[in-house]
Amino acid sequence: MNAVDLLNLLIAALLQAGVYAAMSVGMTIIYGVMKIVNLAHAGFLMLGAYFVYELYARFHIDPLLGVLLAFPAFFLIGMSVHWVLVRRIPTSDQPTLTSLLLLFGLWLVLQNLGYVVWGNSDRAILTPRTLDVLQIGPISFPTVRLVVFGAALASLGGLEFVLHKTWFGRAVRALMQNSDAGRIVGVNVERTARVAFGVGIAFAGAAGGLLAMIYSFSPDFGGPFLLRSFVIIVLGGLESFAGVAVGSVILAVVETFCILVLPANYQPAIAFSLLVLALIVLPEGVAGLWNKRRRWA
Amino acid sequence: MKGAAKGDASARPRFAFAVAPLLLLGVLAALPAFGLGPNTVRLLFVTLVWVTVSIAWNILGGFGGQVSFGFAVFYGLGAYAAALSVNRGVNSILSLLLAASVAVLASMLIGLPTFRLKGPYFAIATIGVSEAVRVVMTNVSMTGGASGYRIIETRPFHQLEHFYAALALAVVAVAVSMQVRRSKFGLALIAIREDEEAASDLGVNPFRTKLLAHALAAALTGAAGGVYAQYAAFIHPQGVFAFGIGVAILLMPIIGGIGTIWGPVIGGVVYGLIHEELIASFPQLHLLIYGSLLILIVLFEPAGIVGLLDRSFRVFARGWRVIGSHP
Repeated sequence: MNAVDLLNLLIAALLQAGVYAAMSVGMTIIYGVMKIVNLAHAGFLMLGAYFVYELYARFHIDPLLGVLLAFPAFFLIGMSVHWVLVRRIPTSDQPTLTSLLLLFGLWLVLQNLGYVVWGNSDRAILTPRTLDVLQIGPISFPTVRLVVFGAALASLGGLEFVLHKTWFGRAVRALMQNSDAGRIVGVNVERTARVAFGVGIAFAGAAGGLLAMIYSFSPDFGGPFLLRSFVIIVLGGLESFAGVAVGSVILAVVETFCILVLPANYQPAIAFSLLVLALIVLPEGVAGLWNKRRRWA
Repeated sequence: MKGAAKGDASARPRFAFAVAPLLLLGVLAALPAFGLGPNTVRLLFVTLVWVTVSIAWNILGGFGGQVSFGFAVFYGLGAYAAALSVNRGVNSILSLLLAASVAVLASMLIGLPTFRLKGPYFAIATIGVSEAVRVVMTNVSMTGGASGYRIIETRPFHQLEHFYAALALAVVAVAVSMQVRRSKFGLALIAIREDEEAASDLGVNPFRTKLLAHALAAALTGAAGGVYAQYAAFIHPQGVFAFGIGVAILLMPIIGGIGTIWGPVIGGVVYGLIHEELIASFPQLHLLIYGSLLILIVLFEPAGIVGLLDRSFRVFARGWRVIGSHP
């Protein structure tokens, strides 16, 4: 283990963190505005992967463009899901089991629709640049990861712009901070929630497309990433976008460096261990954070 | 699920619910007299195992409102504990007790950190537990890792023996569930489901109560895994620890009627029969159906099949009743 290896791993971890951030930000928006943990997130990640794959395989549309197209497509899907299903369940300032089970049911439906449509064989998106490596001195960057990282950052930047420069973004932030106060100053909660759900799903779909450029995928694809997204938003304190960045970096660094001490096939257990660790460090867990927030409310 | 709480569906059509189970038990126990084929007995065996785990889940999830996706952990650990001990010459009843104890131990290890989380956060953490345990079990060499573990049979195989073991365990599970429902402990669990903070103000210790319910549910699930392992004689992590098992264990009581005595039983039977019919020809379709069913139940009938039966029963009864005799 020398300095160059260390630097290589660190860079790999940072590149991974960018993807993780794009992946979990959709979950944060939905949680923040509606206090719903979107278990169907995994299903939309998977659909996003197949969306980009189909565009590439059938129409030779570049995966990057495919990811860009995934935003509007999944935005509309998300809004319809909210219109058909999510708005029918009672709202609450805490996540309810009803919402959890509803979205879990949706995940099962999406996943198994995936099996019906695409079968259970693994697919991958192979473009001419998939295997390229960019060499700078002793440090090598896999090109596709750089591209994905760039796309992830760009989409996060776009979100940041929307959240801070538009009326919708201000409404979202208001509801996240205090939904009652938001209502009092005239935020239309139902409409904001619908759009926020759409944005959350749009990010899930696009992130699925980005992940598909790196990993192979099957209809089972989203599961491990769902858990990672959850770990990230818990580490980040659930409702903050800065927290998502911090959580992503922590998870990516821990996962990357654990390869040095743990066999690679134990890697899926790392996310869970991190979750438990977060709970021990925050003895009251997530509930403690809520209670603090509710006391202010 | 708050909806399940309104009115106790299990207590309403009293007479039918008191006699039917005994009748059913009698029919099941007299089964050998009918001379059923081995396939039918196998189907009934599997269904009884499903019924047991469904009841077990309902103790924590239905009465206590703590939804867990991770019951495959107990099922799998029970299966492995039973298989390992049987191969070391432990008799089969003792090995089931061992299976239950291992599951209880695991439930404590899992519960201590995760019950710090309330409601939905506990649920998501259990997804993580289930994934982590499966990964570890796939890599443990003592149990053959991913390639599975085989029970070496020293006696001739009697299918009915296993059938009666599953039947006995299912009866135990129903009895435990009834006892919990009427005990102070059960009331504490229901109080936690309805409002944890209020329950704790009234002197219920939510953490300890949940931990106990988790352990009880784990014991039954572990024993069920043990019964299954003794029957199958071959188990592997992708089978008994599969996330799909945890999902199935959660779906059955919800479909049947969460928080009731007979809902999980009905859910287990419905799931067991449909699952066995569908899995062979359409392995994906059945989860698609159950996912849609889950969505429909959450949106329209939170009390599941029991609630639906109850509702239609009342509509039916209203037709006969003299108008105005009941508000």
